Amino acid sequence: MKTAQAGTLESMDCIVSVTESDKGRGISIVMEGASVARFGEAMVKATKDTLKSLGVRDISVSIQDNGAGDLVLKARVEAAVRRLAGGKAA
Amino acid sequence: MRLRRTKLYLPGNNPNMLLRGHLFNPDGVILDLEDAVAVSEKDAARILVRDVLRKGDFGNCEVTVRINAMDTDLWRSDIETVVPCGIDGIRIPKVENPKDIAIMDEALSHIESKAKMRVGKTLIFCLLETALGIWNAYDIAKASRRVAAICPGGEDLRADLKTTRSENSEELIGPRRIVVLAAHAAGVDALDTVYADITDDAGLRRETEWVKQLGFQGKSVIHPNQIPIIHDVFTPTDREIEQAKKIVEAAVEAAARGLGAVQVDGKMVDKPVVKRAEYTLQRAGLSAGGEK
Amino acid sequence: MAINAVGRDIPDSIPGYGDVKHFKGHDRRPPEGNRFGKRNRTAFNSRTDKTLPDIKAAISASGLKSGMTISFHHHLRNGDFVVNAVLDACAEMGIRDLVIFPTALFGVHKHLTRHIQSGVIRQIMGSVNGPIGQLASEGGMSVPVILRSHGGRPRAVTSGEVVIDVAFIAAPTSDKYGNLSGAVGKSACGSLGYAHSDAEYAQCVIAITDNLVPYPAPCIHIPQFFVDFVVVVNSIGDPAGIVSGTTRVTRDPMRLLIADNAAKLIEATPYFKNGISFQTGAGGISLAVAAYVREAMRERGIKGSFGLGGITEFFVDMMKEGLFERLLDVQSFDLAAVRSIGENPNHVEISADWYANPWNAGCAVNMLDTVVLGATEVDRDFNVNVNTEADGALLHGIGGHQDTAAGAQLTIITTPLLRGRIPCAVDSVYTVTTPGEVVDAIVTEFGVAINPRRQDLIDAAKEAGNVPLVTMDELIDKAHGFTGSMSPVETEERIIGVIEYRDGTVIDVVKQLKKK
Repeated sequence: MKTAQAGTLESMDCIVSVTESDKGRGISIVMEGASVARFGEAMVKATKDTLKSLGVRDISVSIQDNGAGDLVLKARVEAAVRRLAGGKAA
Repeated sequence: MRLRRTKLYLPGNNPNMLLRGHLFNPDGVILDLEDAVAVSEKDAARILVRDVLRKGDFGNCEVTVRINAMDTDLWRSDIETVVPCGIDGIRIPKVENPKDIAIMDEALSHIESKAKMRVGKTLIFCLLETALGIWNAYDIAKASRRVAAICPGGEDLRADLKTTRSENSEELIGPRRIVVLAAHAAGVDALDTVYADITDDAGLRRETEWVKQLGFQGKSVIHPNQIPIIHDVFTPTDREIEQAKKIVEAAVEAAARGLGAVQVDGKMVDKPVVKRAEYTLQRAGLSAGGEK
Repeated sequence: MAINAVGRDIPDSIPGYGDVKHFKGHDRRPPEGNRFGKRNRTAFNSRTDKTLPDIKAAISASGLKSGMTISFHHHLRNGDFVVNAVLDACAEMGIRDLVIFPTALFGVHKHLTRHIQSGVIRQIMGSVNGPIGQLASEGGMSVPVILRSHGGRPRAVTSGEVVIDVAFIAAPTSDKYGNLSGAVGKSACGSLGYAHSDAEYAQCVIAITDNLVPYPAPCIHIPQFFVDFVVVVNSIGDPAGIVSGTTRVTRDPMRLLIADNAAKLIEATPYFKNGISFQTGAGGISLAVAAYVREAMRERGIKGSFGLGGITEFFVDMMKEGLFERLLDVQSFDLAAVRSIGENPNHVEISADWYANPWNAGCAVNMLDTVVLGATEVDRDFNVNVNTEADGALLHGIGGHQDTAAGAQLTIITTPLLRGRIPCAVDSVYTVTTPGEVVDAIVTEFGVAINPRRQDLIDAAKEAGNVPLVTMDELIDKAHGFTGSMSPVETEERIIGVIEYRDGTVIDVVKQLKKK
């Protein structure tokens, strides 16, 4: 399975790793980090929204968070997905 | 007049600095896609910088992006991504030739018109980091109406000059003087390079006083703690402001009474002195009257 | 059930705590009764040596039994060996169900977890942190933790609300007759301020020392007539954890920015004049505020009167330079402070009672002009939380927060607005430690919010022109813009922590976290 990742573990950043999934498997997300307790739902929504806007339906996403807000999380998801696709970013 | 005493570099792949760097109150921020970003992270940084620019929360800072050099295959994607976000300007590294600026001007105009922005809105800040760039400083500054400032390089320039860093940066005295001369001849700002030793506050103050004396309007900054020191040097003292006010008031009064000669405290004051007093008030953020 | 003065719904009685006196406002509970008197005792000149061979012998001699209350003090901080050694001895002697009553616990005390799980310790009245805090938060203790401030604790002791059966005092120096000093010895820690009231009020006092000197001991902080037994051990603590070395002012730009904002506010107020008194913590932002204020005092030729609280080298230097007349020291943080308290008559040891007890004829915090404090959260009403973290776990003590906030003329809370994604300005704090009515300003990297109750300070800050003023609503909105909305903390109904205000009323409670 092809994987890619983007981001760092600096403050207010996160590492997003993405792995290809077979067609029809849908989106799976695992998360760890200090903000997950209070922001887990928001993180899932931000990730799914970004995947949707990129037209990704089947993927598995792993987030190691160190305090990223939605803006940063979305940018990291996008960068990881574009790397996975092997295309040019932005 | 736009104050450009300090321009703080924000590493393009560092969310913490990108989001909070403006809180240190520099006059401008430079979101850096070039040297602060590893080659393998250029794509991720570009996305992150784009999203931070779209949020657009930079206080009163002049917002610029340092793009990758024009001899790379990155710069076009850089400007296509960041210019439509509505930035104040781009900072181009390693400019050597006025032709580069002409190419950039055209590329920016194309993006601006496509994005339905005012053509010419995006300013250009030129980093002159080679001997050739310094040599061509005036022509570069004049190559486009977008050019707002020219800036000498530091380490790259030293390498190109086949020299190394000395304690007082004597090797950069010549290039700095050329940049000041060219900038003011062309009517753009002369902005100095960074002071690399972020723990040497006294050294930073000495260098800043020196470049201010040479005729620079400000310095680039790599650490927030450097900002108050540089602002302190470039901000006129209360005494200078008082004296400048007196001179400008006397000049305005003399003009109103149709007098050619201006007198302050019983002494004749020359025209250049009045001009400098007006500039002092501008730097202090006070209106000197009659300026745009 | 009643809604108290900070809007918290608190039951009238809490299992393991008893009847609740509800918080009605910071100065609404008048003192009651007389000071507590401990039993009289006598020692004739036939017994001139109080030393016993080991901790177990002292425990036996003290009459300590299962279910009693024993107290400890945190002047050895994270270097302390005494708390763990005493509880180990109790466990080996089969003593159980103890209530431990420390002035504070540190990371080194995570060792106690085993004694909690085995039932040697039934309850903690004092701060909990790290693994013990996590254990308590997850329901690992049968009785709630009771938290009191540095002033609330001596109030409970001197009023007899808490009766200490045995106080164990770690003594860097003692003689055989129980004169104790913190200023000398290989484990010197400076002030013994937190131990004073317990020495005076406990039914039995055991000193534990690693430096027995001939009678009488030098530089006596706690006198012989309070002390029943003396035990000599090899070591009472690790000097590296007892005092820190030189603490440098931070170069972290975000902390400096917050500190600079706080210093500008202080300089803008009428309190910044000759005779100013000042307290800050030893944390990064606090120390940087002190550094900026020192600079401004030099520039404007201002001489202060006293520095209060936990004393650092920084304050010692300010006194040496003439920027303070006196230091009132309840806890000495570093080597320079330890040395100074032993040498300089203007560096005065004060007890926690003297420092902060609201039920005496006047404590030191009342004379304080300015205090700079921290927070994990602040809210729209300026209420401050220092006890719980974002996940709802009870992980920090109150310290002198409530006391200095209530006492000082100008109470400043410095905190980053964002800790990663966690917002520090919220609609309503998870736990109220200190009520907003005694908090004057919140200082963040995004600006300074002054309590609207203090229009005088708002006017002074505007007049100065260089204080970046914002409203609390703006701070909360700014934080929310970055972080988005938080999901609520999921809890059980059971109360695992009771936060007392300094006057002994209950200001808030902490509930058990739901298992994930």
